[in-house]
Amino acid sequence: MARWGMVIDQSKCVGCWTCAVGCKAINDEPLGYWWNRVLTTEPDSSAQIAAPATPAVDVPHGTFPNLDLAFLPLACQHCNNAPCEKVCPVGATFRRDDGLILIDYERCIGCRYCVAACPYGVRIFNWGPAKREPDFVIGYGSDYRTDGRLVFEPVRPVGVVEKCTLCVERIDAHEQPFCVDVCPVGARVFGDLDDPRSEVSVLVNQEGAEQLLAELGTDPNIFYLPSSHPNKVSD
Amino acid sequence: MVSSVRTDLPTAPGLARSPWTWVLGVLALLGLVAWIYELGHGLAATGMRDVVSWGMYIFTFAYLVGLSAGGLIVASSAEVFHIEALRPLARLGVLTAAVFSAAAGLMIIPDLGQPIRVLNLFIFPNWTSPLVWDVMIITVYFLFSATELWVMVRRPERKATLTTLAFIGLPLAVLLHSITAIIFGLQMSRPWWNTALMAPIFVASAILSGTALIVLIAWILQRYQGLAIPRATWRWLAGLMVMALFVDLFFVASDYVTIAWDNIPKDRQVLDLILPGGPYQLTFWFEWVIGGLVPFIILASSKLRAKASNLALAAALILMGVYAFRIELVIPAFVNPLIQLPPGTSLGAVSSSGSFQLIGHYSPTWVEYLITLGMFALIALAIAVGYRRLHLSRTIQEAAEHVAD
Repeated sequence: MARWGMVIDQSKCVGCWTCAVGCKAINDEPLGYWWNRVLTTEPDSSAQIAAPATPAVDVPHGTFPNLDLAFLPLACQHCNNAPCEKVCPVGATFRRDDGLILIDYERCIGCRYCVAACPYGVRIFNWGPAKREPDFVIGYGSDYRTDGRLVFEPVRPVGVVEKCTLCVERIDAHEQPFCVDVCPVGARVFGDLDDPRSEVSVLVNQEGAEQLLAELGTDPNIFYLPSSHPNKVSD
Repeated sequence: MVSSVRTDLPTAPGLARSPWTWVLGVLALLGLVAWIYELGHGLAATGMRDVVSWGMYIFTFAYLVGLSAGGLIVASSAEVFHIEALRPLARLGVLTAAVFSAAAGLMIIPDLGQPIRVLNLFIFPNWTSPLVWDVMIITVYFLFSATELWVMVRRPERKATLTTLAFIGLPLAVLLHSITAIIFGLQMSRPWWNTALMAPIFVASAILSGTALIVLIAWILQRYQGLAIPRATWRWLAGLMVMALFVDLFFVASDYVTIAWDNIPKDRQVLDLILPGGPYQLTFWFEWVIGGLVPFIILASSKLRAKASNLALAAALILMGVYAFRIELVIPAFVNPLIQLPPGTSLGAVSSSGSFQLIGHYSPTWVEYLITLGMFALIALAIAVGYRRLHLSRTIQEAAEHVAD
């Protein structure tokens, strides 16, 4: 059994949001919903900082000429010790054996305990009827079930929580998540963390890719190569 | 005992003819209408969004759970610790425990995105979730207090059963509040909640607000229904309140000091929201001054606390202070998420300021106010009906005659 993971190289990320928009398109996320975002940050800063230096995106930090800028693409971290899964009172959020954290849209009662418990703030609740412009379904376009559980619907019901599925449809069809495919600079690498020869394993074990908020012990399957890291992914 | 029924009790007009019944009934109905509106529009009808994703329903829920404790604690204490002075209020206490625990359970329903699936909690319980344990303990607590009330009213001669029930009730109340506290206390994603003191704070504030509630009801009965509550009973209630107030604020202060001294950014950010000068300072003033210092002075002064109306005033202020504490607990914890980088968290909605929010904002909508108000009206109605139908005035009066002043 594989354990799917991803390494995101922050030294390559240019902050273009293509992964975020690609995610929005293939999963048909309505207006105001972003399963995947690209946050503006500082190189080598802890993600858990007191307050951002500025509320604006793409603004470098520091004083001229010593300016610095980095990006933190953020979606579900698919934790091995996932707080959302532990707090879900009805087991609607579950962890598949290959490490994917998924939501059963037919079971979720909409209590939003998972939204409160997630340290990464990547879960989105369907507050009201979704708005789409233009108003037609794009992307996957059909329901997807794993072990009989409904983990994707083109239009999610009002009152359930949704989030990144790591493109479970594509993974099960032996493809990479869509954000990996669309990244124009190849900053995302996807693979099997249980295979020591996979590129993701090498990046984690030998190049020092790190987990976000690792100190919380959530043990995510998404890793980050800090932006100060020498450019080593794939070439 | 039935033979000693007094006939000289004041006969208030029937419930149906009281204007209060109509006011409360209309309020409860408005709450229902607001909930139907919410069912049609989704939780988009509330002020909650993806940064501050819990709001008035949850802090009111926590408040109602707390209020359900006091009754059972007062009632059980009378039995367990042989406090004769509290015996007159035992049935009233158990009645409030039953009503408030049922109301707390109901309060969760409008907060659910899929209320139709609420039974999933019992069909697919995930036992690592504190919420499941809380649902179970609230259910048990309600069934327990309803049973105890039934025994008290219908089988009052079964003294041994009542004693056993009292001994079970006390730890059950403590368990209820500990588990409700744990819903919050175990979440490392919210540093404001993640303290081992959460359960002790919840138990203390439950005893505090629950006793204050009993005091307020007892005073209303004495003032408007002509019941004579013995002075010894008031003395015990005042003592319970002042002790609980002191312990409660001591625990809260211990948390403040730890955060202020450590100065860990994400902890400190929350404290700065609520301390004087912060955007949520109103909760601080209500908790510490209006519902803290003022009632403390009233209860500590032997002259002031001798008057039942002063006790009622202190109780009302304490009830406000504890509600402020619940708000302070729930909302500020959401305002600054752990990862707080531009452009912020996706809102799950498009507002005039875009679809992201860096610093959380929450203000309840009319739907939330009406549903919450309707719940309080429903509670008042249920207690009034219970008081009448179970002939509590008679038993309070009988028991009061056995209390030496």
